[in-house]
Amino acid sequence: MAGNEVHNKIDPIQFEVVRSALTQVTEEMAAALRRSAYSTNVKTRQDFSCAFFDRNCKPISQAFTQPVHLGSFVELIPTSVEAYGAENLQPGDMLVVNNPFGGGSHLNDVTVFGPVHHQNELIGYVASLAHHVDVGGGAPASIGPFQEIFQEGVIITPVKLVKQGEMNEDIFKLLLAQIRSKRVTAGDFRAQIAANTVGSRRLSEIVRKYGLNEFDRYVTAVIDYTDRRTRAEISDIPDGIYKSESFLDFDGFTENTVTLKTKITVDGETVYFDFDGCDPQRRAPVNSTKAMTFSACAYALRALMAPDLPVNDGFYRHVRMNAKPGTVVHALHPAPVVGGWETQVRVNDMLFRAFAPGMPQKIASSTKAMMAQAGFGIIDQVTGEYHCNYEALAGGYGARETSDGPDAVQQHGQNTENAPVEEVESHFPMRVSQLSLIEDSEGPGKFRGGLGMRRDYHFPDDAATFTVLSDRDLEGPKGIFGGMGGRKAYYILNPDDPERTKTELSSKCVIELKPGDTVSFQTPGGGGYGPPLERDPERVLLDVTLGKINFKRARECYGVIIDNLTNDVDRTATKKLREQIIKSRSSK
Amino acid sequence: MTIDPIKFEVIRNALTQAAEEMAITLRRSAYSTNVKTRQDFSCAFFDKNLRSVSQAFTQPVHLGSFVRHVPVAVKRYGAENLGPGDMILSNDPYGGGVHLNDISLIGPVHWQGQLVGYTACLAHHVDVGGGAPASVGAFREVFQEGIIIPPIKFVDHGKLDDDLFRLVLSQIRSKRETAGDFRAQIASNRTGAIRINEIIDKYGLNDFDRYIDEIIEYTDRRTKVEVNKLPKGVFSAKGFVDNDGFTEEVVKLEISVTIDDNGVKFDTTGSDPQRRAPVNSTFAQTFSACAYALRALMDKDLPVNDGFYRYVHVNAPEGTVTNCVHPAPVVGGWETHVRLNDLIFEALAPALPDAVCAGTKSMQCHSGFGGHNHETGEYYCFLETLAGGYGARSRSDGPDAVQSHGQNTENAPVEETESNYPVRITRYELVPDSEGPGEFRGGLGLRRDYMFPEEATFTILADRDKAGPRGLFGGERGSKSVYALIKNNVEQHLSSKTTLQLKPGDVISYRTSGGGGYGQAFNRDPEAILNDVLQGKISTNRARKHYGVEINLSSQQVDMTITEDLRRGR
Amino acid sequence: MKELNTKRFRIGVDIGGTFTDGTLVDSSTGQVITSKVLTTPADPASGFISAVNKLLGVNNDVEPGEIEHVVHATTVATNAIIEGKTAKTAFVTTQGFRDMLEIARQIRPSLYDLQFEKPAPLVPRQLCFEIPERLDAKGNVVTPLDEKALAKIVDQIAETGVEAIAICLLHSYRNPDHEQKVGKAIKAIIPDVKLSLSSEIVPEFREYLRASTTVINSAVTPIVSTYLASILEKLHSANINSELLVMQSNGGVYPARSASESPVFMVESGPAAGAVAAASLGSALGYPNVISFDMGGTTAKASLIRNGQPNITKDYSVGGAAQSGDGAFGGASGYPIRTPVVDLVEIGAGGGSIAWVDSGGALRVGPQSAGADPGPVCYGLGGKEPTITDANLILGRLDPSYFADGEISLDTEAAKKAIHKHCAEPLGLSIEAAAHGIIEIANTAMVNALRLVSVQRGHDPRDFILMGFGGAGPAHVVRLAEQAGIPQVLIPAEPGTTSALGLLVTDVRMESSATLIVRADQVELSRITDEFERLEHSGRLAHSSAASASGEPIFERAIEMRYWGQSFELSVPVPDRKTINDDWMSDLIESFHESHDSAYGFRADDEPVELVNLRLTTIGKIARPQLRKLDIINPDIKVAIKGERPVYFATESSQGGVISTTVYNRQKLPPRSTFNGPAIVEEPDCTTVIQPSWSVTVDDFGNLLVENNQ
Repeated sequence: MAGNEVHNKIDPIQFEVVRSALTQVTEEMAAALRRSAYSTNVKTRQDFSCAFFDRNCKPISQAFTQPVHLGSFVELIPTSVEAYGAENLQPGDMLVVNNPFGGGSHLNDVTVFGPVHHQNELIGYVASLAHHVDVGGGAPASIGPFQEIFQEGVIITPVKLVKQGEMNEDIFKLLLAQIRSKRVTAGDFRAQIAANTVGSRRLSEIVRKYGLNEFDRYVTAVIDYTDRRTRAEISDIPDGIYKSESFLDFDGFTENTVTLKTKITVDGETVYFDFDGCDPQRRAPVNSTKAMTFSACAYALRALMAPDLPVNDGFYRHVRMNAKPGTVVHALHPAPVVGGWETQVRVNDMLFRAFAPGMPQKIASSTKAMMAQAGFGIIDQVTGEYHCNYEALAGGYGARETSDGPDAVQQHGQNTENAPVEEVESHFPMRVSQLSLIEDSEGPGKFRGGLGMRRDYHFPDDAATFTVLSDRDLEGPKGIFGGMGGRKAYYILNPDDPERTKTELSSKCVIELKPGDTVSFQTPGGGGYGPPLERDPERVLLDVTLGKINFKRARECYGVIIDNLTNDVDRTATKKLREQIIKSRSSK
Repeated sequence: MTIDPIKFEVIRNALTQAAEEMAITLRRSAYSTNVKTRQDFSCAFFDKNLRSVSQAFTQPVHLGSFVRHVPVAVKRYGAENLGPGDMILSNDPYGGGVHLNDISLIGPVHWQGQLVGYTACLAHHVDVGGGAPASVGAFREVFQEGIIIPPIKFVDHGKLDDDLFRLVLSQIRSKRETAGDFRAQIASNRTGAIRINEIIDKYGLNDFDRYIDEIIEYTDRRTKVEVNKLPKGVFSAKGFVDNDGFTEEVVKLEISVTIDDNGVKFDTTGSDPQRRAPVNSTFAQTFSACAYALRALMDKDLPVNDGFYRYVHVNAPEGTVTNCVHPAPVVGGWETHVRLNDLIFEALAPALPDAVCAGTKSMQCHSGFGGHNHETGEYYCFLETLAGGYGARSRSDGPDAVQSHGQNTENAPVEETESNYPVRITRYELVPDSEGPGEFRGGLGLRRDYMFPEEATFTILADRDKAGPRGLFGGERGSKSVYALIKNNVEQHLSSKTTLQLKPGDVISYRTSGGGGYGQAFNRDPEAILNDVLQGKISTNRARKHYGVEINLSSQQVDMTITEDLRRGR
Repeated sequence: MKELNTKRFRIGVDIGGTFTDGTLVDSSTGQVITSKVLTTPADPASGFISAVNKLLGVNNDVEPGEIEHVVHATTVATNAIIEGKTAKTAFVTTQGFRDMLEIARQIRPSLYDLQFEKPAPLVPRQLCFEIPERLDAKGNVVTPLDEKALAKIVDQIAETGVEAIAICLLHSYRNPDHEQKVGKAIKAIIPDVKLSLSSEIVPEFREYLRASTTVINSAVTPIVSTYLASILEKLHSANINSELLVMQSNGGVYPARSASESPVFMVESGPAAGAVAAASLGSALGYPNVISFDMGGTTAKASLIRNGQPNITKDYSVGGAAQSGDGAFGGASGYPIRTPVVDLVEIGAGGGSIAWVDSGGALRVGPQSAGADPGPVCYGLGGKEPTITDANLILGRLDPSYFADGEISLDTEAAKKAIHKHCAEPLGLSIEAAAHGIIEIANTAMVNALRLVSVQRGHDPRDFILMGFGGAGPAHVVRLAEQAGIPQVLIPAEPGTTSALGLLVTDVRMESSATLIVRADQVELSRITDEFERLEHSGRLAHSSAASASGEPIFERAIEMRYWGQSFELSVPVPDRKTINDDWMSDLIESFHESHDSAYGFRADDEPVELVNLRLTTIGKIARPQLRKLDIINPDIKVAIKGERPVYFATESSQGGVISTTVYNRQKLPPRSTFNGPAIVEEPDCTTVIQPSWSVTVDDFGNLLVENNQ
């Protein structure tokens, strides 16, 4: 028909307007969620994401504060809609879901989503995902070395949390009954509902403005646009096969490290991630769900592309992977999954190391590459209320071709803020007795890795349950191109209290604390890039001056001698020392 | 208006019959061995004011606990929010409940649109999720024990709420079995409602209400008579649970029983503070221990209802192992509960020497396991509780290998168990010489060995690994329990509260405690010993050492001369 | 071919607690003669033969040669168990399970009784032996049978000098091989010991129930076989060489030879007879659905008959507390039996049941009974406590001067005194009201019994006709019908000996079963076909050995089914096996869903269904004697009227009171005559009470059809 030509033309201006409007929708959702949330983990650490899907459950736009959530959404929404039956969803309904084996990640990441209608016609779905600080199960904050999913908290297959705008009270009551921090979590759930409500309101406005056909046409256009750019970006990656191996230091129960392997095939416009050779899943906190592994691939790929590439179905359709069911990169029921993020970030690190030879300029040396999760719970002695806190700590970043790795930052899929000491101490009867960089923890190199971080939790008056769910307690992040590894992580009970015996903890444990106990969480430094002896002595001097490394380390690791009177580099001595070191090395 | 004693008896029987029919429906249509075969469930009818009226109990523990839970659950949900065909589900330990496995389903009964009462049934579900298959184990908080269900409308106008059903089931390992048991509970309540309606059709609502009042008053009168028969005074005893699953520190229990005209007051003051360990009894559990003890001292055919409970007064200080507060773990509470029963009888022994029995097994003695069933591809879970020796009485020996006190669950037939679950029972027998010696001896404990051809997770939640049940009046203790892991014939003893991963071929072996004896062992009739020895229940050595009886095996007779010497030696 | 016309006569003998009843039927005319003699507990056989002689004495034109067969109902097996007089028996089982009988079900028979006892095992522990062997749940060999060890154990058993041996090895219901080998080994060394294999007696899973059944079988085998031998001997000495058949618990009969081998099938021999009589009479008169109510001196028994067949159950235990027939709530106090038993509910309510007031001020009746000695107060034999009979007397239902054909005259005053003292005064009621209360309360218990067999099994009692018989049945049954809402009641001719008649109106029945335990969606249909074939083959053999069974055997097939995961099966009848195909299967599953729905109020169509056992009943038809019509004379009711007397009645509508009531002589009631209640009908050994607003029709055979006019 005649109209077709007209309709088939995409007006570039309107295209840009619709595209940004769509992003705007999710941004507003995020804002609403953050402002109305209760828990520090959501309102401050921003451990949540929001997205919009079309009526076929294809991701259109998203405001993800957390890249890890990138992939997890993509499978969860279609799977859940299918499971519940699109026909069973009326306007104003919202489902709640966290099923790890139905496209979800770990149980804490609970998604609330619902259909958006325009004049009773389905436009699509708005979804918000939040990491709830506690979802019940084996330990406060629902993290710990568990052996089965059933120990990790409430498992939510899609059920109706909101019925035609009304909260489904019985479902809500039943969910909250499983949860320790009831008041806070209830607040976060309401915030998620608010976010979706805002989102669907804004969307129907857009549709009202452009009409459904136009809307659909431009949505398709947006996807095609991303698709074109993604294909272009991929073809920029040198064709070839990229391989790498890595491992997790500790599975929480046995001393056997967890082997990870990858083989990435880049061929023209296609990239294929193969995880053949990864260990079978374990009854231990090291299992990543398919969605988690997918998001690692998506993140890695995205990180190699132009920053302004809008991410939607046009991008995801190019993320192809093979993760064998029943392995630590694609766990099956009833495997525990809370530790999956440790695996997921390590996979990320591994993918970058694989790509390194192909694009040395684009990737970083090894980072912390673990979530470094700390959780604790305290029962208020007065009110009897159960308080839970969850956070993930930063570590040293890997050095890059032309720059040092930043100190104490989050990495890869993880970009959560730190919980302000004042906020935490005002919420919980505890004290952060130390928060500092760890000297000499960097991985030496031409460009050094970032410093790790130390955060000590002290519980003056209360017994508490504390969980460490982390890794890197065997060795620190590796260096690259001659760079050296960073300091490994330490988890220590009562590090420097003469009254109490100092005990080194494993990277995955739940402990019962007595009043007065302290747990010291010390994250690793990042790996170095290039030989340390090639490091510009001035940079070494600066580190020494800033007290990030000491004289001894400057001399031993970097062959740099600093005159402690002039506080300047002794260039001749340095030159000599560096030559000596090289000679002695080659003679060996 | 006067009560017609005939109509009274007729209505009373009809109400009891209604509860019995609920129980039969539940049992016959249930799926899990624990419900259908071990009969770990109960059914009851409550009047519109939530007073318990009639009940069909297979498990005395539910006496007291179940009937306390139902009114609380209904009030929490709001009776006004319940219409015809609705049913609410609940297991909240801190809303009058017990451990999470015991889930109650409660439905209002309407007659011509008016609320006339409630039918309720409770079933012990094999698995409710949480830390270990079968939801038993050494946990520190209730959140680790499985799904916590506050009162929610599970059945709406006769229709099961799919979302709630799905959400509940997703927390549960053995989904198919549990789904079946839930359906059976719904059927049971429906049966009850139909019966109640028939009764009202016949007698009219006014008489129905009036006679319910009278039925309760009737029990009240009879209970008063029974209470008056009891010796007045204060009686007390101290005891302990052997360990708490995390520390070896015993859990102290204290009970004092005060009997006067107003009834019987049980006080547990002095018992230990609650622990982050599986030894905490909820108030309902403690109450039911006391209610059971009192009921056991009364006329066998006394119908239990509100009129009885009002004579049971319990003071259990909050925050103790006899009345724990949120979020204490509760799954181990039954171990404490049943130990209280032993203590109560021990306290009353001097006053009622002929009514009570010596120390019994008095532990729940859970055996729970689960794992992947390769045949069905399902996650299977299995739970049972094992019998032990019963305490001796003033005129008779304690029976061998039998459940004690509040607990009366059947054993799971070996053939049924092996047909449905990947496990093999390799031994099931009495433990000779485990009895507590006495003029009347305690019962023998039993041994049950489980061999696992495939990997499995196994939980022992029991007790009595430090000391066996006490004897009375000079009777001696029964043997203590042993829990062992046997790997290629090497035996390693386990704690009485532990969860462990089993490799194919591993064997878990239970040897439960024997019952305590009653009276001096040297006064036991030598012929009785002879019979014990011939039956292989007591060895000749033990006969000689503990009873001063010499048995001549070849002649199969008591050697009286040696026996008299031995006994004179005392 | 069997020459029926030359063998016209059949004899039935029912030995009860007090009386031994005999019945002789002329199958050509249907004429029935009955006899009653006192039971002789010391040597029941002599009571048996005197009952027979009495019959032959009455009808002396019976030639012993003309007797086709003698059918016998006896409680000899049950009594042996209850009185602990079973034979010295050994128990052989799988290694590790010697204590199966000791541990039993690990439960206590009563919940709140600290003084309870477990039933003592029928086999003492020293006679329980273990064999090294093991099968798994599929019947595969896990540990092979250790022949050497077996030989040793057989020697040990031989030394004990046991008369009988029960063998129950784990999972033998799936694979009997080991049990059979053990059996052979024992026979080789101890040839004449009585041997029972669980895989032959009840090849069904759940070891304790199977073992208990097997042990009971062997423990009573010596007693029963000796007993039956002596009966045969006595018959022979009376020149009666015809076949001796024995009534089974399931209501069928089987040859004495089979009975001596598997007596566990006849433990409920006596009570079954009543149900069979009701079933047969019911079908003959066109009432296929009957609830039979048989009330004697100490107990009342109710059972349900559908389509002319008594309801059969397998949840049953003997020697225990009175129970509803459901293993769930009784059972723990007795010895469970898994062989088919007529589904009876027996309650302690008979003429002798004692009335009392408990401490809460409630009027109670039973379970204590004055029995025959001292008997009811009104007998004047020393009874002090009021009984149901005393109450009936006071209410005018019994004629003091015409009781037991006038053999005993009743003391109404004494009865009144007793009721006044024990019931009326404490409750502040009039003597009549109290007496009436006693009856009403006893009735409530009986109505519950009716419910248990009907409602509780998913049947509406109103769809059935209630048949009342036994010495005391007719005095209560009409009021029971009123209370249970049953519109029709039938009182057979000669209700006092109805049970004995039952012996002569049943067939040779042999039950056999095979375990499947397979999901309907996984079973190979050929397997069902094969199993049924196997069962039918053994059925034919058994059939050919029963002389009285005429013609081809008839097979009734059923499959016991449940939802995959349940443990209680519902028995679903299936059509002829030759038609087994997919449609057949879907029909089968559908009818299972239906019966589950009617039993428990729901069906779960998405749930997998499991086939547990195949059951085959082999029936050798025995021709029924046709009923004998009475001569139709002018139906003038007046001839039967004996007079009038005041009788106390209560109805559903009224509180009750004394009504002047017509009394009829049953023997004089003309066929096809009708009359209205209230009425009393008297005959030598029994009195029938007709409630007001019910009417009676006498049918051509002398049965009373009583119907509610409202």
